[in-house]
Amino acid sequence: MSKEFPQWRQYLCRACGLIYDEEKGDPDSGLAPGTRFEDIPDDWECPLCGVTKTDFELFEKPVVTSIEQVTDFNREPGIVIVGAGLAGWAAVEAIRQLDQQVTITLISACQADLYHKPELSVAISRGLDKTALIQERGIDAARRLGVQLMSATFVVGVTAELNQLRTTRGSLTYTKLILAQGAKPALPKQLPPSLCWRVNDLNSWSAMQQALAQGPQSIAIVGAGMIGCEIAEDFIRAGHRVALLDRNELPLTGLLPPQAAKRLAESLMDLGVNYRGNSEINGIVEQANGTKRISFKGGDMLDVDHVLAATGLITDNRIARHAGLDFEQGIKVNPTTLQTSQPHIYALGDCISIQGTPCRFIEPIKHQAKSIAHAILEHDSRGYVHSDPVIRLKTRSLPVVMKGLPLSGIGWTLIHEDTDTLVMEQRIENQIVSHLKVGASSQTKAA
Amino acid sequence: MNSVAVSSLTAPWADDSKVLADVGSVARQQLASAAKRIDEGYYPLDIMANLGQAGAYAGHLDQHGCRFGLSILTMSEISRHCGATGFMSWAHDVCGLYMEQSGNPALLARLDDHTAGRTFGGTGLSNPMKALTGIEKMALSAKKVAGGYRVSGTLPWVSHIGPGQYCGAVATVERGDGSRSHEIMFMLDLDERVNLRACPEFSGMEGTSTWAISLVDYFVSEDQMMADPARPFIQRIRGAFVLLQVGIAAGVIQGSIDSMRDVEPTLGHVNQYLHNRPDELQAEYDDLVNRALVLAETPYEGSKEYLLDVLDVRCQGAELSLKASQSALLHQGAKGYLMSAAAQRRIREAHFVAIVTPAIKHLRWEMAKQMREEVPA
Repeated sequence: MSKEFPQWRQYLCRACGLIYDEEKGDPDSGLAPGTRFEDIPDDWECPLCGVTKTDFELFEKPVVTSIEQVTDFNREPGIVIVGAGLAGWAAVEAIRQLDQQVTITLISACQADLYHKPELSVAISRGLDKTALIQERGIDAARRLGVQLMSATFVVGVTAELNQLRTTRGSLTYTKLILAQGAKPALPKQLPPSLCWRVNDLNSWSAMQQALAQGPQSIAIVGAGMIGCEIAEDFIRAGHRVALLDRNELPLTGLLPPQAAKRLAESLMDLGVNYRGNSEINGIVEQANGTKRISFKGGDMLDVDHVLAATGLITDNRIARHAGLDFEQGIKVNPTTLQTSQPHIYALGDCISIQGTPCRFIEPIKHQAKSIAHAILEHDSRGYVHSDPVIRLKTRSLPVVMKGLPLSGIGWTLIHEDTDTLVMEQRIENQIVSHLKVGASSQTKAA
Repeated sequence: MNSVAVSSLTAPWADDSKVLADVGSVARQQLASAAKRIDEGYYPLDIMANLGQAGAYAGHLDQHGCRFGLSILTMSEISRHCGATGFMSWAHDVCGLYMEQSGNPALLARLDDHTAGRTFGGTGLSNPMKALTGIEKMALSAKKVAGGYRVSGTLPWVSHIGPGQYCGAVATVERGDGSRSHEIMFMLDLDERVNLRACPEFSGMEGTSTWAISLVDYFVSEDQMMADPARPFIQRIRGAFVLLQVGIAAGVIQGSIDSMRDVEPTLGHVNQYLHNRPDELQAEYDDLVNRALVLAETPYEGSKEYLLDVLDVRCQGAELSLKASQSALLHQGAKGYLMSAAAQRRIREAHFVAIVTPAIKHLRWEMAKQMREEVPA
């Protein structure tokens, strides 16, 4: 073929999708192979639907990105697990420890890659990216554990009476259903989703990480809870300018007594974080130059390159509503068996609530998974025993460790205080309800 | 519900159970025997007129009490005996919905004849519905002129139309420089200015009077205007448009279950070895219809959750149509495979339910789009 010879082109009928290929022509209607589109007479009609030349357009083959799947859709789905975060994979592992044969189908809205979620709030300053955080690809873990993985798949409905789960890749009939759907960021209406990053999963974190990787930038973190405080320190250590905003005067209100919260705020400010308490946001708009302008009640403004919402999590109730599951701040489960209000449906992880309280920590998940696996496979077990996990704030400048969940309205007793360390306790009738240690001992610090 | 507003003219259709019974008897007595003929090409306007008289096309309209549940159930009764007529009933229903929701007095004046089955019209919104969700390009384009618009382009495969009839249509309005301004939705009256071209032969449902519409500078007057701009209007009626289609699916499913039960006395001893037995399918059908009837209470709800529920039930209707029609043929055996048998016809009807806009693939694509969290660009 000579260099000058233009490539054969293809034209798409916008009406019916037929493709006219210049190379092949349309011999049935008298167009010889090699007839250029511009040489086709105006009264020529689409051989399939009869429209004329003017309804054809140049066809350029679209790039289709499809998802690599390991699912054999013809197999029975067996036990179906919704969600492939730590909780979903923990459920898979727990079942496989007891039974290597039972069919398991795992459904994930993303690629189901395994990573350790708590790392997300310290990963930027360590220079990590998505690839570095992935411990094992979802597709590899699925092969290793003999799981049918449906990735990039959303659950849209459940009919519990029929054991029927409906997804964006078709319907499944489960023997048992395990919900490990997690929780999603709760965005107040003042924070538009199109302008605010969230870091509740690897993909959304990764999008933000790529934006920040372009060089030092200014970021406003909305919400000085555990995640907000950890990430503020992470960003500062990575060389960004950080404003940490909270509606309350001090960070971690409700968890820390004021003396402790003050130490934390001061420690963050010493690092260079611009902590702004009592900040009620009115709204956020994008400026022509791409920066985001945050306006506060009272008239103040703040212009930043990025806004990150760390305003807490909620459990989406769509699946629970469809399946008729009792729901209170999360999917209500039996605290011993993790069974929901429907007999064949179990739940674990961030999406559940026990006695009306969600429990969004890593540590209990493997125990919950083990209990569910035993219940589903009818193995004896003493069941899950819920206890309040130890809370560790990953703020390297000022470690915070809380044992037991503090109760509101109960005073704190000072146990020990020096320049480096603060130890306090809440007690009821001499029983310790919660024990708090802020800061490391000088010995630990030196090490 | 504004059923108090039902006028004396329409009072005969005020009683849901009477409408259902009357529509059911027209369907059994007239449609069932004509279904094969309709499948092969007969356009049953005579029977549709009788269905209209029985109240089949009124329920979902505001002026008849906004009873979407009734419209779904009557459509199901029709589709149970003839899927093609069920589909045309849906097209007729949504056309009436466009006319009423437009609020255009000129179109409202035509609504009574439409509702009673004295005039007929369908919907050309397959292409716009796909275009507005980004699946394909808009087929018709319009230019603003004094007193209205001039529209050109080709709309392929519009059903339940013919010379002297009409359908809803959407065109992209282009500015002088060819860039897109907005969209308009209008009543396309199929008069002498319109060229209707026959479509290639389909594998079934040939009596749906399906044509390609070709327009060259077709003038759209104010009296024909349904919505300008069209997007907010389409956004508002989209859930109702999709939800009503569940009626077509429900009829195909129920008809399939009927066919299985017909042969139970003679073939039950062998049919017991089949998957998807009638009682199982009936339970799935009941779940499907019950969910649709709950959604039918609030057809214009605009929330994302509601739209997802509608897409879910529509998708499930298509999947269950495929499963039920397939199982019905297996239950009937060779008898169901005869060219005259309803069972084999319903397989093709079920495939139609699965591919007509929005097809299963479009529904899943759209549900996935709706489920994804919005993040900064």
